[in-house]
Amino acid sequence: MSKEAVIQVDSLVKKYEDLAAVNGVSFTVNRGEVFSFVGPNGAGKTTTVEILVCLRGLTSGNAKVLGFDVSDRKGQQQIRKRVGVLPQDFNTFDLLTVKENLSYYKKMYDGGMDIDELIRLVDLEDKAKTLYKNLSGGLKKRLAIAIALVNDPEVIFLDEPTTGLDPKARRDVWDLIEGLQEQEKTIFLTTHYMDEAEVLSDRVVIISYGKIIADGTPSELILQHGGKTTLIVEEGGTEAHDILRKKFPDSKLENGDVLVPLNGKSDLPKAVMTLNGNKTKFAELIVRRPSLEDVFLNLTGKKIVDGELN
Amino acid sequence: MGGALRVWFRSKHTLFWTFAFPILLMLLFGAIFSVSDDPRFDLYVQNQDIIGGESSPFSATFVDMLNGSGVLNIKMVDPTENTAEYIDDEGVERLLLIPEGFHQSCLNYSASVVLKMVPPEVDTSSATVKGLVESMVELFNTETSEVEVKQRISNLPVESLVSENYRFIDFFVPGLIGMTLMTTGIFGAIGWNTRNRELGILKKLATTPLSKFEWVIGVVLFELVMCAVSTVVILVVGVFVFNIRVLPNIYSIILIAAGAITFPGIGMVIARFVKETDSADAAANAVSFPMMFLSGSFFPLEMMPPFLREIAKVLPLTYLNNGLRDSMVYGNASSALYNTAILLAVGIVFIILGSLITNWRDE
Repeated sequence: MSKEAVIQVDSLVKKYEDLAAVNGVSFTVNRGEVFSFVGPNGAGKTTTVEILVCLRGLTSGNAKVLGFDVSDRKGQQQIRKRVGVLPQDFNTFDLLTVKENLSYYKKMYDGGMDIDELIRLVDLEDKAKTLYKNLSGGLKKRLAIAIALVNDPEVIFLDEPTTGLDPKARRDVWDLIEGLQEQEKTIFLTTHYMDEAEVLSDRVVIISYGKIIADGTPSELILQHGGKTTLIVEEGGTEAHDILRKKFPDSKLENGDVLVPLNGKSDLPKAVMTLNGNKTKFAELIVRRPSLEDVFLNLTGKKIVDGELN
Repeated sequence: MGGALRVWFRSKHTLFWTFAFPILLMLLFGAIFSVSDDPRFDLYVQNQDIIGGESSPFSATFVDMLNGSGVLNIKMVDPTENTAEYIDDEGVERLLLIPEGFHQSCLNYSASVVLKMVPPEVDTSSATVKGLVESMVELFNTETSEVEVKQRISNLPVESLVSENYRFIDFFVPGLIGMTLMTTGIFGAIGWNTRNRELGILKKLATTPLSKFEWVIGVVLFELVMCAVSTVVILVVGVFVFNIRVLPNIYSIILIAAGAITFPGIGMVIARFVKETDSADAAANAVSFPMMFLSGSFFPLEMMPPFLREIAKVLPLTYLNNGLRDSMVYGNASSALYNTAILLAVGIVFIILGSLITNWRDE
């Protein structure tokens, strides 16, 4: 299947007075892809989304969604009809039920999805008559995503859909997004959770200070920038460190654990045998593969904690 | 203690109620009741006692005296006008008629002048005007009588311009309806817009094909329904509890509808500049309170000093109140239509302005 670009962004710049929130960003999103825009708060994620869904104007550059120019009035109307948006920090009418809320937004469009079918899709059948204010955080978010689907959109923008949720609710939202992916919807996701991007995305763009610093599939990015797989010898201490250092000079001692970078497939058995042969004491052996978090750390020298650069 | 003070100080809402509101009320009432400087009451005078194309000597003297009172604002009506029609057409509230043969009757010490006015129960200014006219008659009698015990004007009949026997509550109900339409419309529109902005609903709507104009119209129509409900409640309570006799006719219903879309329109424009719920209340209060007291909802505009009357002329609620009172109490259709036209024009301007400047994003 040939790839069809549904979002094309070229040298996009958005300035607020002198500050460039988005500073020359270019990328393409293909149909059916889950595309993640990853970065810390203030990196320019929401600004980019808001330009793509015609909430904000751009300062310079080009952006097209489904072939329609976001700066063109008629194009904007077409885009609004065809995309579904979950804005950041979105809440809906407290005193309307799940079903009433969905019906309200459906009225803004011609056609769209059947409300009952949509409620089934997001697994809210039991709560269809529950007021929004009485839903848990995770269910509120599920309804919010359902609201983004009322017009049966071709492209779905989810701006930080899991921020503020507990781990269980986050997993629920992930399941929902994976379900949408199976229906071959194009999903544009922003998040500051690296694990979320890694689990859900077909493709990831990492953005920092308004500029793209990496673009690729999660595995490509990890391969290029993630560093090596590491064997962790928990509570091995200086004894294990001294023994391993002879064969693996890059080994490091951190808080009593020994970290051994592995270069090839044969390195793991070699390390384990070395430990065994010397009857070294340790608590546990863990193999840690690099993640997107390592990619970000290696590219920026920083970590993201609760959305903020650290 | 320090924390509470800080919270209190940073909340625009409490700041408004603690400082701005009392000051506003004091200034308002101070201004409204500082009438003593220059109280003037309109009195239309029709002199029908014309002899040889000119006012008869006694009638001319009497009119001069009225003019010289300094308190009455005399407006002369052409002698040829049909009095009843003139009163209806111009929405006249008080007219003094000097009948034909006045001069002759004065010579016989048996003259009378007729004071046609809205009863004092409905409009408190009428009582004052009646008293003033009585003292002018007395003055005229003393100054012109040659025989001390005899009075040239012996009779001052007062005729009510209102057919029904109205009480103050009947004057009050139209003002109350006006005030309610204003507060429902302004508070409703600002509150609804601000709450939905805070929830993120406005931003969400901006991503749908819904236009701002449709949104504004939607809010205005919703408030129109709310206003209809409030009006019905007021009238039902008025009829069953106070046995009011004023009921809306078709003209007042049109006027009520015009008011019910004008004030939400104004609210939508104000809402553009309001970001949080706290400031929404403050903004709505700041606009509606002065309007409530300066537009004649509770007391006649004539009681107020001239500069406040000038202010009243630019307040849309003035037109709603005047029109409602004219149509409901005095049965004056043309005044209702005139005021409807003004309200509608203001309403349309604000609705268009509102849909142009409404901002769905939070900056």
